[in-house]
Amino acid sequence: MAAGTATRIYPFMPGGAADGIKLVSGAVVLSDLTASPRFGLKGCGSAAWLAAQGIPLPAVNRIGKHHGMQVLRLGNEDILLLAEGVGETLAEVKTAWHAATAPKGYSSWREEGWAWLRLSGPRLAEAMNGLCALDLRPEKFGPDDIAQTRVGHIEAVTFRSPAGFDILFDITASAYFARSVAAVATHIDQHNA
Amino acid sequence: MNRLPAPFGSRIDRSRPIRFSFEGKPFEGYAGDSMASALAASGQWVLSRSFKYHRPRGILSMTGADANALVQLPSDPNVAAERTPISEGLRVSAQNVNGSLEHDRDAVMDRFGRFLPVGFYYRTFMGPRRDSWLKFWEPIIRRKAGLGLVDTKAPHRHFDKTHLHCDVLVVGAGPAGLSAAIAAAEAGADVVLCDENPEIGGALTYGRYDPAILSGLSSKLEALPNLKVLTGTVCNGWYEDNWLPLIQGDRLHRTRAREVILATGAIEQPAVFRNNDLPGIMLGGAAQRLIRHYGVRPGQSAVVLAANDDGYRTALDLLDAGLSVVELVDPRPAGVAGSLEAELRGKGVAIRNGATVEAAEGTAGNRHLARVRVGGSWTACDLLAVSIGSAPAWQLPCQAGGKVGYDAGMQTMTITLPQGSVHLAGAVAGADDLEDAIASGRRAAANALSRLGHAVAVESPVTPKTIRPRYVQPIVADPKGRDFVDFDEDLQVKDLQNATKEGYREIELVKRFTTVGMGPSQGRHSALATARIVAEATGRTVGEIGITTARPPVGPETLGVLAGHHEVLERRTALHARHVALNAAMKPVGAWWRPYYYGDASSAGEAVREEILAVREGVGLLDVSTLGKLEIRGPDAGEFLDRLYTMAHANQPVGRVRYCLMLNEMGSVVDDGVAYRMAQDQFYVTATTGAVARVYADMLFWNAEWRLKVDVLNLTGAFSGLNVTGPKARQVLGALESDIDFSRDAFPYLSGRDGMVAGVPVRVMRIGFTGELSYELHCPSSLAPSLWDAVMAAGRPHGLRPYGLEASRILRLEKGHILIGQDTDAITTPDELGFGWAVSKKKPFFVGKRSIEMRARLGQTRKLVGLNFPAGTRNIPGESCLVLRGGAPVGQTTSVGYSPSLGRHIALAYVHVDDQAEGSRVTVKCRNGELIEAPVVAHAFFDPTNARQEI
Repeated sequence: MAAGTATRIYPFMPGGAADGIKLVSGAVVLSDLTASPRFGLKGCGSAAWLAAQGIPLPAVNRIGKHHGMQVLRLGNEDILLLAEGVGETLAEVKTAWHAATAPKGYSSWREEGWAWLRLSGPRLAEAMNGLCALDLRPEKFGPDDIAQTRVGHIEAVTFRSPAGFDILFDITASAYFARSVAAVATHIDQHNA
Repeated sequence: MNRLPAPFGSRIDRSRPIRFSFEGKPFEGYAGDSMASALAASGQWVLSRSFKYHRPRGILSMTGADANALVQLPSDPNVAAERTPISEGLRVSAQNVNGSLEHDRDAVMDRFGRFLPVGFYYRTFMGPRRDSWLKFWEPIIRRKAGLGLVDTKAPHRHFDKTHLHCDVLVVGAGPAGLSAAIAAAEAGADVVLCDENPEIGGALTYGRYDPAILSGLSSKLEALPNLKVLTGTVCNGWYEDNWLPLIQGDRLHRTRAREVILATGAIEQPAVFRNNDLPGIMLGGAAQRLIRHYGVRPGQSAVVLAANDDGYRTALDLLDAGLSVVELVDPRPAGVAGSLEAELRGKGVAIRNGATVEAAEGTAGNRHLARVRVGGSWTACDLLAVSIGSAPAWQLPCQAGGKVGYDAGMQTMTITLPQGSVHLAGAVAGADDLEDAIASGRRAAANALSRLGHAVAVESPVTPKTIRPRYVQPIVADPKGRDFVDFDEDLQVKDLQNATKEGYREIELVKRFTTVGMGPSQGRHSALATARIVAEATGRTVGEIGITTARPPVGPETLGVLAGHHEVLERRTALHARHVALNAAMKPVGAWWRPYYYGDASSAGEAVREEILAVREGVGLLDVSTLGKLEIRGPDAGEFLDRLYTMAHANQPVGRVRYCLMLNEMGSVVDDGVAYRMAQDQFYVTATTGAVARVYADMLFWNAEWRLKVDVLNLTGAFSGLNVTGPKARQVLGALESDIDFSRDAFPYLSGRDGMVAGVPVRVMRIGFTGELSYELHCPSSLAPSLWDAVMAAGRPHGLRPYGLEASRILRLEKGHILIGQDTDAITTPDELGFGWAVSKKKPFFVGKRSIEMRARLGQTRKLVGLNFPAGTRNIPGESCLVLRGGAPVGQTTSVGYSPSLGRHIALAYVHVDDQAEGSRVTVKCRNGELIEAPVVAHAFFDPTNARQEI
């Protein structure tokens, strides 16, 4: 199911589902990485196929690295490759996967099903405390940790990025999520006024 | 003005005067003043009227713990005047007054006390009739005894919830809490210290202590970045696993702490004597708080009732504030007060030992204290400061599992906590001497740290410096009464004694009979005295009596804080902006936004009609992206679906689409959809919009249970769906660039294909809800707008119209297609829907199979059928109107609508099983009660042979 010539439109782009919804900036900054390359495999055979490609797999709910990609182990047989800035490397993996014969797992369509937003800014910790019930203090939640939890009252996968926290969640809730973060940012501004 | 010069008044900013009003009269205070302090500074001591007798009441504790100082703000009832700051233009009024605070018509109640004995309402208001309480008495009592008034038009406020995690939470920033927090933070723990007051320090801020102690602790605190201080923050409860709500104004910190140190202090207790509630009689701590925090002189001429050192210190403070201390009355024998006694005498204060205050009298209308009787003689004064003892602040410790006891030797109430992650420090643990409290804080921190795995030297237990027994006031009922034990509920000593005489000997029963401790103070000033009175009256010890159960919340909290802020959840399909651009009327359906119809509201009916006709006569396009989409992959995918759905799927050929119907374990229909077999090991399954989350969860559950080789993936958001439907649908798709052959023979009804359409990878299924020739195109969501544009462009020559939910609803109703949840309920079986054809008789098992077989044996009582309302019928029933048979309800209408294709109203309805035959006439009760008859028709009203969808 490789795409042809058609144009891809993601929620925060013109003509996207969340077109017109502002991503907050200021003390809390929300940025959109939804269009960034990623590829996930899920189901029987996924881990073995990836391992056979020489991709080292971390433990469940941990993040590994491979040729600049982040390897997120969401489950035994649920692995997501994030390739911010290294799309070519990922493209090679995808090409190999499409050409391979089963068993090789199945696509998890994370590039379509999940929005990918990044929360950062000087009030990052305060914003995350407002959005997520988990203990995300640096000593409790390190750069290689993954939390599969709720952020902004919806199901989400979150982990640290150098700039802040990356959040993956249901793409259809993009507008809602951006509004929720904006509301939290407003509360923070009011509280610290 | 009762204002004292600086340095008195640590909380106020004299450069910022603030004007407000109380009971319509203008007042002025300073920024930082509480309402009570600003009013006291201007000589306004009466703040409220009491609950039952409407007696004037004023400042008791300055901690906001009781009903005496609750006031009404325009949009906020029951506000603690002692703690709430004034603000410019604030309009404050008194509560529980009939008339005005100054002239309360219900003050006459004070004369009728003997006709209102404790528990009188349990007897009086039971009759004369069974409903007298609800119909007659309760409305009167509500009017008489109401406290604050709720403003239903209050402006919106912003509330906010956040989460807080720490290693150690210290509640209370008095000397013990400060020392505990500092010790824990110095060892490297992540510490949060909260206090309800606007500043740290607790008693160090208002008591007679060396200011260097607090400034020393403060500077240590500031040097610790891992110590977070939350002032103005109430810890309002302890819940399992150290979950504690910290309320900071309009923000709720949902706090999880690994270790908790409760340094909640002690609650100073009032003395019990006749007229002990007069404004002007206050606890020693209240007088000290007025002086030091607010620079308010609590009176001119004071008598101090002191049975401990704090009372002596209060007397010295009063002298410093320029009051004349007429006399210090100490019920204890001479010589026990030590150096403080000498200091006071040195300042010329008369000290009378072995005596107590026996009664007080007020000015006219009891508006202020006028004199007190000590040893039989009256002394004029306008302030009586009372320091005769305290009780540990037991609320949080008890919620955390603490047990209240009584040390008969020391005459003190005690709290013991089980070994664990909650620790006590300071006065709440009995260490009320300053040095003891600081040491006890350090020790609590050491215990917490060692549990956290820090290597710390274990501190030896604190040996209290004051080891002599505390003073206990003998409580004897005054013959004339008005010796209040519970100020909130106007309960006197005799009320409690009478309750025990009635046979209510246990504290929980005494509480329920007398209402003691049920008011805003929740027993803070009455529980200990009550326990002593009940112990005395029943010949038991105070320890045996105990106190009533303490539950969260510790103090009142607004509903706004509990609610917090919630953005309304919304989900948008990838085509949202396309719909908006086409002027769709977007409506929320569950969390989803969906086009209801396309066009202006003024011509909604016309738009829906045209959309329906487009589908019936030309071609329409519907966004079906909200449908649940699930992919079932793996060698056992067919077997998995066989067990989950009622039809057979294991034998379903690749490239075919099959209806699927899901039952729950009681055999009720819970979902339907279609399953397209894309490969031997891969099915693409749709579920209804509303049910998919649950269907997906159920699939994961059964997959874990059955351990088949299957992976379940929810693609609801990842894929979008476009339904191209109508007689011209094939022409539209044929005009698009595609590798799929859409011809009738190559792509028959109930089959599926994948390929490319307009450069977009698609999964196409020939199915349809409308009854017309219909293709459902599913594609990755990021490409859905492109596919939509391509279909719209290809459809233009054929008059293609996008259509909305309302047209879709009618189109399916014309075909008699059911909507799960709309036309089914919690007990609907496949047989009741006439769906026997969709239930495999050959499969040995599927979820719900055993139940529908058992239920079939019970006999079927109802059937879902179509009802026809001939054109011109005046009264059309709504949805959920009753279907009657012989006057008794046997079913209900489930879907009703006007069919433009048929030119009449049609409905689906459950009717009696014997009325299911076509042509039977059933009776439906309309909304206005009119009974109408309607003929039963077969399920499909339109194209009953289904010829159109298979062209």
